[in-house]
Amino acid sequence: MPIFMTKAYRVILRNIRQFSYFNNADTILKLNRPSIQTVSKRWLFWERDRKGGYSTTEKVSILDHLKTGFKELKHEFGLLKQEIKELVETDPLLVARPGEIDLIWCFSDQSVLDKFVTTSDSDHNEGYSQCSLTMSSAGRALFHGHLDLRVPKDGRIKKAGYCAMRSKRARKSFKRESTYNWHLYNTLVLKVRGDGRSYLLNLSCEGYYDITWNDIYHYVLYTRGGPYWQIAKIPFSKFILGSKGRVQDKQNRIRLDRITHFGISCGDKIPGRFDLEIEYIGLEFDPTHEEEFAYEMYKTEKYIVGV
Amino acid sequence: MATRILRNMLNRNPSILLKRWKNSDRDVTVYDPFQKLEKNKEAYLEVIKIFEGRDKRRRGHVEFIYAALARMKEFGVQKDLEVYKALVDVLPKGKFIPTNIFQAEFMHYPKQQQCAVDLLEQMEDNGVMPDTEMEQMLLNIFGRRGIPLRKYWRMMYWMPKFKNLSPWYLPEQLPNDTLELAKLAIERITSVDPGTKIVIWQTEEIEASIDKTWIVSAQSEAQKVLLAEQPVDDPLIVKGPYTVYLRDQTVTYFLLIGKTRPEFKDDTDPDDVSNIEKPPGIPGFIGSTKLPATKCTVHEQDDGTIVSVCATGTSSRDSLLSWIRLLEQNGNPSLSSTPVIFTLIAPPNDITLHEPQQTTEDTNSEKQLGTN
Repeated sequence: MPIFMTKAYRVILRNIRQFSYFNNADTILKLNRPSIQTVSKRWLFWERDRKGGYSTTEKVSILDHLKTGFKELKHEFGLLKQEIKELVETDPLLVARPGEIDLIWCFSDQSVLDKFVTTSDSDHNEGYSQCSLTMSSAGRALFHGHLDLRVPKDGRIKKAGYCAMRSKRARKSFKRESTYNWHLYNTLVLKVRGDGRSYLLNLSCEGYYDITWNDIYHYVLYTRGGPYWQIAKIPFSKFILGSKGRVQDKQNRIRLDRITHFGISCGDKIPGRFDLEIEYIGLEFDPTHEEEFAYEMYKTEKYIVGV
Repeated sequence: MATRILRNMLNRNPSILLKRWKNSDRDVTVYDPFQKLEKNKEAYLEVIKIFEGRDKRRRGHVEFIYAALARMKEFGVQKDLEVYKALVDVLPKGKFIPTNIFQAEFMHYPKQQQCAVDLLEQMEDNGVMPDTEMEQMLLNIFGRRGIPLRKYWRMMYWMPKFKNLSPWYLPEQLPNDTLELAKLAIERITSVDPGTKIVIWQTEEIEASIDKTWIVSAQSEAQKVLLAEQPVDDPLIVKGPYTVYLRDQTVTYFLLIGKTRPEFKDDTDPDDVSNIEKPPGIPGFIGSTKLPATKCTVHEQDDGTIVSVCATGTSSRDSLLSWIRLLEQNGNPSLSSTPVIFTLIAPPNDITLHEPQQTTEDTNSEKQLGTN
């Protein structure tokens, strides 16, 4: 039997396709076609798809995959080498310096912006909003666009109007999925310059099982508006668990060692232009903030909450 | 037999076939109870009352509520709790309460429950917080185990937590007057510096002005000092228009921007002990007590020093020119000698003084006015 027919070979090919740069959502969103009209189905028992039916994979020939994969090999081995070196050399961090801000993303040049992906409802033909993340004239990231609440008349969509930016999945070498580990810190710090709208901060905590795929912790970012920069410090204890945009009854504190994505979205039901200039997104350990979790959980009758 | 029955029916009531013919399915338009002349709250509540009184059994109440929910914006009542209560009141009391565990588990009267949930969701979307009377009404309609009750309890848990969370307070009802709105916006923008003074000027005070309108201008003492320290030969820049959102209202504002001061260099040698006058036994400073010039007031952003912020009634070039003149009259004499460049991103659509010949002409006219 020729090697092409063996099962193992096919598995390798499939994985190459999965891990290639061509899964990069930037290129895919442009090519997206209205073929995802099947998402209206609600999977109540199990989740078939991580993306909930919003398939964004692009068909690329096997030969192209092999080529690009081969090109990336050198870079990936470099990453692996660095990882091993770090593992051997570094001691684990135990304490964060109180009062110092560790910057996770400092939007000083384009390469940092490339770590983010923007999405809006027009990408999936579910609305007319547009957005993009570019460098501002002041040399910072500018998340801007136009929020449009018009609902496309396809008889399926009830509400429209969101724009979002989200970091790409944290990965180790050879495109293995990893998570951010922020458990040393207890405060999220953002230096922003907004336009008076309120934005939503999203911290995704995707897990292994399908029930956790849509777990996102939310909190509001109020902006002052105007030419002055503002520093927003938000304790992680205040973040609220939501799933597919719905606040959950049974809340719990965010697992800071399991964060997969960070995002900011705009969907405040006010049509019009929005601009949010971001200088950095950082983390801080604030020893005076002792709160574990901000939301009290009342004891209720059976079968009332969380069913 | 059958023919006899048919004949009997026709003999007794010959219009029965015609009535079938006149079924509402064949009507071109559906009867719409909301086609009232006036579109206000009273008319809306009146329609609900008419529906309640028309039929004892209130047939089609779910459809009625959905229709009423869809027309709320049209009548301008989407933020009115009383109206939502009146709509909930349409549902019959006691009928939908489950009486055994099977009914409770398998969503007793699903259409009606879904309708009430959708009503509550619309309230949530419009930021209307329900009250305890609403809870009593829902309890009387759906009972403790109803899905709408769960929705209600969730709303009452979360909505108060977020109602007053914004650090920049806005009144419940935003003012309709643009001047009041502009005042709110400028207050919000300049809340970084508590020393900011907001003044309202009329352009009539400047004789040369064409636009007769108001100007909301904000400047703090620190900004006055910063403006006075600006180099005379470097032009100041009027930038704008920028927008700031106050909920769903937008206000256009403009900035007067100067150069950022050069970084302060401390060239004193702290180790130099050559001329210390040290009074024995007296605590205090040793050596130079000259404090370094404060490097950063909040107004010194890295893309320039913000010297003043304003919003005008027309956002036109002429009103901005008047603003500069008024700033000069009110405590900024250095503006008479400093050139000002207008870099407005898009020329405002309404009245403009100058032809959109860019900066040089504006600067010239500025200088001419300055010498007057």
